[in-house]
Amino acid sequence: MYAVETQGLIKKYGKTQALKGLDFTVDPKEIMVLLGPNGSGKTTLLLILATILKPTSGAAQVMGLDVTKQPTKIRQILGISFQEARGFWRHKPAEILHFHAAICGVPKSERDAKIEEIMKDLELWEARNKLFMHLSGGQTKRLEVSKLLIQRPQFAIFDEPSSQVDLRGKRKIWGQIRKLRDEGSTILVATNEVREAEYLADRVTVLDQGKSVVCDTVRNLKDKIAGGDVVELQLEQGPNNTEELREELYKIEGTVNLLATGENQYRAHVSIAEAWVPKMTSLCYERKARLLSVRVTEPSLDDVFLHFTGKVLETATDA
Amino acid sequence: MHNIIRLVWFDLKHELRPPIWITMEWLTFTIQLGIYGALISQLVTGISDYQQFYAIGFVVMMTFDIGSHTGRHFVEHAHEGRLPYLLSLPISRSKLFLSIALQGGIELALMISVPLAITLALIGNFTFISVVGAIVTLFVLGFGVAGLMLGLSFIAFKSTDIYTAITVGLSSIIIRFSTVLYPLIFLPPSYVPVAILSPLTYGADLVRLFLGFDPTLLLDPIYAVAVLTALAVSTLGLGMLLLQRLVEGVKSA
Repeated sequence: MYAVETQGLIKKYGKTQALKGLDFTVDPKEIMVLLGPNGSGKTTLLLILATILKPTSGAAQVMGLDVTKQPTKIRQILGISFQEARGFWRHKPAEILHFHAAICGVPKSERDAKIEEIMKDLELWEARNKLFMHLSGGQTKRLEVSKLLIQRPQFAIFDEPSSQVDLRGKRKIWGQIRKLRDEGSTILVATNEVREAEYLADRVTVLDQGKSVVCDTVRNLKDKIAGGDVVELQLEQGPNNTEELREELYKIEGTVNLLATGENQYRAHVSIAEAWVPKMTSLCYERKARLLSVRVTEPSLDDVFLHFTGKVLETATDA
Repeated sequence: MHNIIRLVWFDLKHELRPPIWITMEWLTFTIQLGIYGALISQLVTGISDYQQFYAIGFVVMMTFDIGSHTGRHFVEHAHEGRLPYLLSLPISRSKLFLSIALQGGIELALMISVPLAITLALIGNFTFISVVGAIVTLFVLGFGVAGLMLGLSFIAFKSTDIYTAITVGLSSIIIRFSTVLYPLIFLPPSYVPVAILSPLTYGADLVRLFLGFDPTLLLDPIYAVAVLTALAVSTLGLGMLLLQRLVEGVKSA
């Protein structure tokens, strides 16, 4: 059974269709990252799964529970960290977390210790008695994420969990999310930050204009780009370094393009570098052409997004 | 039930630490009654003691304001982004609605406690039953108004401006065209058909009846009980239905 499954999910806001018949699954105990530009339908999907929004049509189940028929039961096993933490202007971080832990059923005996541990780890402890309205953007984001890390739900949803947070804070948040997964939670993360997706994802679903474009592991997605890996070679000057060798390199399975970039230097665009490089080294060995250097560059998730949607992730406009 | 209390207390404690808003309401009532009420009662001759009449009217207006505030508070939550969070909590929508109504009820009790005590002291002649009757009437009216405003709050999800215009306009009409400040029999005939549509007319007259005012100046209490009960049940029922069926958090997220 999938932890999350949607079938033909549609959500309309007036004339705007945010989700256009989305079919989507998340396996139990994995981190699924939803990658897409603003307006691609990520947040809408998260809010439907959290039973905050109602789908216009289609179906969605969380841990086998229907989002429209059993919303309260879903909310008992789910937690959501929103894109923006707002609305508690006169409350203090510590009391917000105490309230959240209590209402989500964290045992009283564990509450204080858990709150202190997470607040210290996310560097919020010093700000625990400040008013919410006096916190910085990064601190409010950490606070929002802290709610789930204290709650430790069976199914955790994070909407852009590290936006506005500094690099050190991002690492801490990502580490905590992975720890949550390791302890058995199923996790869904929405982001448009490539680095966050690469760091966290067991699998990635690329969303564009309300539809799932592709879903796979990061590795497989990169490998699906024909010629996405770039291998730069430098060979030693010698009698075996010939045009014939170049032609043979071009014929290696997975080669999309091979360019001479300088004297005895080549750049090969290949589909799966891990498979291509051993074949290339064997060939050079057989032809007694000595390799001086090999440099492999794999495509980024940005390239993946560009490949599957024809758009650049960072500059894509709202749908 | 624990979670309902937690939800109520989470917000309410900030109203009480320190209780500036509540104290200001008490102070406003005291000044209004002590200065304006005392002076105007010397100009009004048709009612034996207009200051007492006015005191009850002012308590009823406060009840209306606090009931309205509960609805507006809900809209503020939505626009501040707190509503999606509340909707994501592991409690049913009906419990969430109950917590909103309960918080409104507690605020009402706190706000009108001192004004009502001053009013009772001013009137002097009351019984336990008459006081309980007056308090129950005020609460039923408060819940009815809160339910009405919560029902209207769904307009705010489409347009805050329209919501504000409607609630301000409605409040003006409901208060001015009612018997809060003057008995129905003193109203010009053209006002009467409108005044009997105002829930405040029934609330004010019923409270006055419980506290010993001349029944000939007031509406039939049976009508008043029926109208106030119907208002509270229908608007709270409608509010709960709308919250369960229609409320979504994305517009405010």
